[in-house]
Amino acid sequence: MAEYQNLFSQVQVRHAPDPGVGVPDPENRIPDSGFSYWLGKIGDAQLGPVYLGWLGVLSLITGGLSIVLMGLVMWASVGWDPIQFVRLLPWLAVEPPAPEYGLSIPPLAEGGWWLLCGFLLTTAIILWWFRMYTRARALGMGTHVAWSFAAAIWLYLVLGFIRPLLMGEWAQAVPFGIFPHLDWTAAFSIRYGNLFYNPFHMLSIAFLYGSALLFAMHAATILAVGKMGGEREIDQITDRGTAAERSQLFWRWTMGFNATMESIHRWAWWFAALTVITGGIGIVLTGTAVDNWYLWGQKHGLVPDYPEVWGDPVPAVEPGELDGPLQGPPPEGMPGVSYMEAGNGFILPGTAAHVSFAQNLEVTP
Amino acid sequence: MKTLRRTATALAGGLLIAVSGCELPPVDTVQSGFRGVGMEHVQNPRTLEDSVRAVAQRVPQLASPPEEFGDPAPDGTWENVQVLGHLSESEFNRFKLAMTTWVAAETGEGCNYCHVIEDDGQVNFASDDKYQKRVSRDMISMTQTLNTEYAAHVGEAGVNCWTCHQGQVQPVNRWYFGDRPDPPAAGSMIERPQWERHYLDRNDVRIQSSEALSGDTDNRASLQQTEYTYWLMIQMSESLGVNCTYCHTSARWGDWDESPPQRVTAFRGLDMVRHMNMEYIVPLQDEWPSDRLGPEGDGAKVNCATCHAGAYIPQYGSTASHAVDWPALNQIGVAHGAGETTSAAMEDSDEDEESDSGEVSENP
Repeated sequence: MAEYQNLFSQVQVRHAPDPGVGVPDPENRIPDSGFSYWLGKIGDAQLGPVYLGWLGVLSLITGGLSIVLMGLVMWASVGWDPIQFVRLLPWLAVEPPAPEYGLSIPPLAEGGWWLLCGFLLTTAIILWWFRMYTRARALGMGTHVAWSFAAAIWLYLVLGFIRPLLMGEWAQAVPFGIFPHLDWTAAFSIRYGNLFYNPFHMLSIAFLYGSALLFAMHAATILAVGKMGGEREIDQITDRGTAAERSQLFWRWTMGFNATMESIHRWAWWFAALTVITGGIGIVLTGTAVDNWYLWGQKHGLVPDYPEVWGDPVPAVEPGELDGPLQGPPPEGMPGVSYMEAGNGFILPGTAAHVSFAQNLEVTP
Repeated sequence: MKTLRRTATALAGGLLIAVSGCELPPVDTVQSGFRGVGMEHVQNPRTLEDSVRAVAQRVPQLASPPEEFGDPAPDGTWENVQVLGHLSESEFNRFKLAMTTWVAAETGEGCNYCHVIEDDGQVNFASDDKYQKRVSRDMISMTQTLNTEYAAHVGEAGVNCWTCHQGQVQPVNRWYFGDRPDPPAAGSMIERPQWERHYLDRNDVRIQSSEALSGDTDNRASLQQTEYTYWLMIQMSESLGVNCTYCHTSARWGDWDESPPQRVTAFRGLDMVRHMNMEYIVPLQDEWPSDRLGPEGDGAKVNCATCHAGAYIPQYGSTASHAVDWPALNQIGVAHGAGETTSAAMEDSDEDEESDSGEVSENP
């Protein structure tokens, strides 16, 4: 194996655990601290002290309850069969209520559990956010971590709360479940005419890939000057050593420009935060403002005109034919099916949008 | 060094396991639309070859068609023939014999799968006592309808019993209410999988708006609706062994102008399947014995896979599943001796006049 060249020592020193800097209310800490050899392989060998506090305790309780409830609902959906539960787990779901429930509170088995799980999970996440904020403040730090977490919470809330609220039905929200939430993603893009033509989706992807690129560039740069103490980035900001000089010259040599020891972290922070901020904007506009992103793209010159390759005309299905003689309600004997019509959502009765919508559907507004 | 070797071995092993589910390359990719838009068919030529060979090996050995199909048999040739009265006697017999291979081969019962053997050992061809015979008549009539009314889907070649049955009394691919896909469709463990319903009626399969902005929308389909459509489409894709771009332009699924012509054929096919289920198969509900029923007590129904079974053309276009040489199936049949006594009356009075060839000596 190649020699590990770094000013860091691989030797793990054992001593009395470091309690850290003096902070207020230390009584909320779990005093036990210890050392882990394997954690020392990937980071600091010292484990703890953990600060829980009432925010942490409540967050763990609500979050844990939410996860356990999801598991129970999924287990119940396979008739409490433990083998099927394990086998089908990736496909099991806690589904939001059907569209006909709108924003009302449905029976537990028909989406109520989803509402409850979502409420508990959201509570846990928001309590955890406050915990991030207050702990950073207690240490006299900036609150950058809390705000980047808030950016992610924005996307989470858009998907599960804000957009369903605007659309007027919980049914618009994402189900809980491994494949079901991915299926939702596919269905969402299909329903709203291809999300790839949503400019905020484009931005979000650009920032996501950009984040990965920045992460790789920065990590590689610092590792490359590790043997000159490059990982001591804060030192290098105020007192540029040879590690900083060399790594920055490297980037000026190769691309003419270098980020500074400080600004690279702002680059990274904003790229990461903007991934979810722009993503959330893209989602919140979908269905509320734009119903078909492909057509929107066509309207705004985003989509090129492709030549007709199958001849003109394509063997046509006439519009009238789309309503064929066999279309209509299900035949007798088709058990227990009710189709899910979407509600009017945010389109309030009486508004121009609602009137045109109602006319299109040939119902009385 | 040892660690390095161990790591490399573990990585190589992991990689092998990771790709063990993949097909061996290369696969054929054929561009089918405008360049750069991902309109292409992907096919594994070896898998395709195997499938085609399997189809060829199953082809049944049947009597070849005559030079002339002849005139309809004279009145009084048979009793209780309701949908094959347009056939000559020899063509009638050739077709009947073919059916014992097409449909009843697995039973080994030949004619007796549908026809009643009387106490004296004679076969009563006129009797409708066996549900198999009553169902067969309906199925013959259905196939005649498919070949005459749905040329837009089945083409000039048409279909015969073999196309779906493949020697089995029930086609392998069929569906019932309450079927659960495995692994299940999204939400299906809580909701029943409603995508199957599209095979019976097609309300609300179109889930995309034809207007850009929500305020102008002409479509309020829900995301749940979208998932049913999605599952219907995946069902079709798997039934035909093709990917989405066989019928759709991937940038905009709903757009007919940019869709390949196959989509029109598929659309007629959905119409056809709906017709088969609603007009022919669901009405047979009362005929089915209990061991033919699904978990919710309904009879088997047809979907795309019933005929296609994973091939973009059923049996990869094998002539063995065409209707060209079968006047029994490629035109709408008429009743033999129409206007005479009812079938029930004939059954009662003419049992003794039956012979193995299905002929009677004189008019009843």
